[in-house]
Amino acid sequence: MNGKTRGGDVGMNCLQFENALPDYLEGSRTAEQQAHLSVCSACSNLLADLDFISSQAAELRELEDPSPRVWNALEVQLRREGLIRGPVPAIRHSWLLHWRSAWLVPVAAALLIAAGIKLFHPSRVGDTQPIAKQAALKAPAPQPAVSAEDREILKHVASRPPAQVAAYRNDLDQANAFIRDAQDAVRNDPNDIYSQQMLINAYEQKQMLYHLAVDQSNDEQ
Amino acid sequence: MTDAKRPQGNKLSEAEAIERAKQGDAEAFEVLYNLHKRRVYSLCLRMTGNTASAEDLTQEAFLQLFRKIGTFRGESAFSTWLHRMSVNVVLMQLRKKGLPVVPIDETTDGDEEGTIRKEPGAPDERLAGSIDRLQLQRAVDELPPGYRTIFVLHDVEGYEHNEIAELVGCSIGNSKSQLHKARIKLRELLRASRTEKAGRR
Repeated sequence: MNGKTRGGDVGMNCLQFENALPDYLEGSRTAEQQAHLSVCSACSNLLADLDFISSQAAELRELEDPSPRVWNALEVQLRREGLIRGPVPAIRHSWLLHWRSAWLVPVAAALLIAAGIKLFHPSRVGDTQPIAKQAALKAPAPQPAVSAEDREILKHVASRPPAQVAAYRNDLDQANAFIRDAQDAVRNDPNDIYSQQMLINAYEQKQMLYHLAVDQSNDEQ
Repeated sequence: MTDAKRPQGNKLSEAEAIERAKQGDAEAFEVLYNLHKRRVYSLCLRMTGNTASAEDLTQEAFLQLFRKIGTFRGESAFSTWLHRMSVNVVLMQLRKKGLPVVPIDETTDGDEEGTIRKEPGAPDERLAGSIDRLQLQRAVDELPPGYRTIFVLHDVEGYEHNEIAELVGCSIGNSKSQLHKARIKLRELLRASRTEKAGRR
């Protein structure tokens, strides 16, 4: 059958059928096309496959969540542009408060380093690109190895089911990526209070993960 | 506004959030983002096939939406407005990158033997039953950008040809014929992937 004018005896060949196929699929069908289909397995298979592909496409409509980094970066940009006019939100979970002091050291250090870099390498004025894009425009930072503290905290969740460990690891990676983005933003503009807040939020996110790991680990013991 | 538009755990309905976002209320922006982020991100992901690009485009789509929220008067559904804006953001990005929004015709035109003779694998074996969702997703990701745009907009997102024609700037007839070619291309990719898989066994 391959390459021949299959079904040629009944008035329509495969090429003619194929050319009319978009209309056929839209519902405009002729007796001649039906006759061709009844004798040509290649064309009826083609039709069945295209129907199958089209019907299966709806299955691809599954929804996925974007990384939390998208909202974090978006919020910073909205505040910069003055679209959000409220105050920068404070810590949202009161139980985080007693953890906060432990994180002030790395945040303060990051802010100081950023300020130092800014002093010696002032960036362009008026750069209003979204944070995620600013980060993307930079040379890709080398993917850091798992830090000693991350390794330590991963030990606390190691005994859990593999899916949970993988999910935790993924959350940790995202929190680390958020911290890197925030550090980039602060480095870019150390005086921008929204970037500073973004950095604090990023550390808080990671702190929350640590807290969850240690808490659950204690519960298990 | 129905409670269906009131996300769990959020105090504001969509309509309330829109009005408060116009006043610059931070919580309102977050409510609107949380209501629609999955749909927008998934659309961007399907149209680009790339997580990092999809995240950037999601951010850009919401940014554009929030910049214009003051002009939203409710003549159309908010989700329709946002969805259209997201499609436009993705199309603009494709154009910026020099990628075709409307497919560049490949060898299917002017081939006297049509497409059937090019199919790899057994000619009489149908795809149904041998292809799962993941394989289809991979094949869609492999489609050239122009074909992917038309296929995703029509077969996945459910846009009509007249809407696609307006969005991408082509004729309705062109949208129809390019969709057909995109499906044919997908069939080729799926059959090739099935043959390759069978060869590995």
